[in-house]
Amino acid sequence: MKNIKNTLLIISIFAMPFIASAQYCNNFHTKYCPPSENGMYSLNGQSKSALFSKGQTSELNVIVYKGQDYRISLCFDETLGSQITYKVYETKKVKVEKVIETKTMEDEYQKDENGELAVDEWGEYILTGNQVEVVSKETVTVVEQQKNLLYDNSQDGFATELEFSVETTRRLIIEVSIPGSGGSGNTKNKLIKSTDMGCVGILVEHMTTPIQGFKGTGF
Amino acid sequence: MKRNLKYTIAIIAAFPMLMYTSCTEDKPIEDVEVEIVTDEKPLSEKFYQIPAPDEMFGFVKNSGLTYNKALINSPQKLTSYTSPLEQTMIFGVYSADLAYTAAYEEFNESIKYFAIIQKLAENIGISGAFNEELMNNIKNNLDKPEQLLENSNDSYFSVVDYLEQNEQGDKLGIIAAAGWLETVYIVANSIDYNKNEAALQRLADQKLTLDNLLMYLDKYNENADVKEIATMLKELETTFESIEEETNSSGITLKKKSEGKMVLGGGSSPKISKEQFEAIKSKVNELRTKIVK
Repeated sequence: MKNIKNTLLIISIFAMPFIASAQYCNNFHTKYCPPSENGMYSLNGQSKSALFSKGQTSELNVIVYKGQDYRISLCFDETLGSQITYKVYETKKVKVEKVIETKTMEDEYQKDENGELAVDEWGEYILTGNQVEVVSKETVTVVEQQKNLLYDNSQDGFATELEFSVETTRRLIIEVSIPGSGGSGNTKNKLIKSTDMGCVGILVEHMTTPIQGFKGTGF
Repeated sequence: MKRNLKYTIAIIAAFPMLMYTSCTEDKPIEDVEVEIVTDEKPLSEKFYQIPAPDEMFGFVKNSGLTYNKALINSPQKLTSYTSPLEQTMIFGVYSADLAYTAAYEEFNESIKYFAIIQKLAENIGISGAFNEELMNNIKNNLDKPEQLLENSNDSYFSVVDYLEQNEQGDKLGIIAAAGWLETVYIVANSIDYNKNEAALQRLADQKLTLDNLLMYLDKYNENADVKEIATMLKELETTFESIEEETNSSGITLKKKSEGKMVLGGGSSPKISKEQFEAIKSKVNELRTKIVK
């Protein structure tokens, strides 16, 4: 009996990190993503960590402001592999005109030899007893999110850091994809092994873009 | 996603070992292989992040806007906020005020706002965010003005972490929304349209930040309090919609420039007229008054 308790204890010790993984992931980026060695950079509040499984893709929407430099770095648990893809998109809302077709079934009326609607002796239109499909079109303006790929780390040797200056304020999507197919079996709710899960951290740092070259009145 | 994660332990693999150990008490436990599985796959998620107030205040200070104490919410009004929603919103407001005083190294003001935030955190049930280490760090650095901004940021990030860990994204949304509105209020009321071009541009850029904020709040739209603040912000979104984009001939790119540095540039940027600026300022002031009273 004593050994049963010990075994259960061991199981629970093994299980605890995974049960608490959501909490464990929360500060992952501050603990495991190495910050820039440039002391001018500050931690940006848009940094984020989350629990991922193999085969999962998630996105982080951030704002980068004109006149600032940003450094975005990625760190992740070894269980997720060594080559994690991350892409950076620009995203913006655009107004798009769309034509919406509506189909309805309506009663069909008899027509005379001139193609005009025929009327009976009381002046009423005469039903054929059939129905016809009527298509009506309406133009509406809708707002859509457009994505424009700016960077793909798989084209850059799976780099885990990206540093850039911003000349125009933008909303960016940082899309992180974990390779592999998490889960097993063909059931609707696939079972995910703990070894197929891990934390991913995205550390965002910022600083005012340094002014390059000589500055001053001079002679 | 995290809330719904139900972990089940696959004891099947370990079961023979349990049986074995239960019959042989005197034998030491050998290697036990445990495989833990969950019956739900973590969903692909979209996260919407809101820049912290310090990023804005650091920038506008460098761009030449001067500190104006009259713009921040008086600490003496603290007792007038009684409902949980009022207190949560005002926590966001005072957090932004703290970031403002810290960015401008207003030492005495910052201390007052630290105290207010700590007290409010107790009232709204997030005092756990201010752990001993953080408080000691703040106390030990109170006499170092250069540490003010760092202390202010630490407390803000700690609150964000705490609320995320405790799955209170709705409360975080309310705090972030009120804090963002206070930040925009201070900046809008500090700008001289004809003199502060950089700060004005940053104000116009808030159109994008507001988009992110509204999408974040939309995740919690079943919460009546979140819905209330989102409705307020949608009024402001309508005002921001009138700002037109000035399109550059080239599209947006992220590429290396001659000195080897990556640059995100091109595309369009918002151009704000004086009338639009006044309209935004007026709407922000109106909404802010609803929160601070």
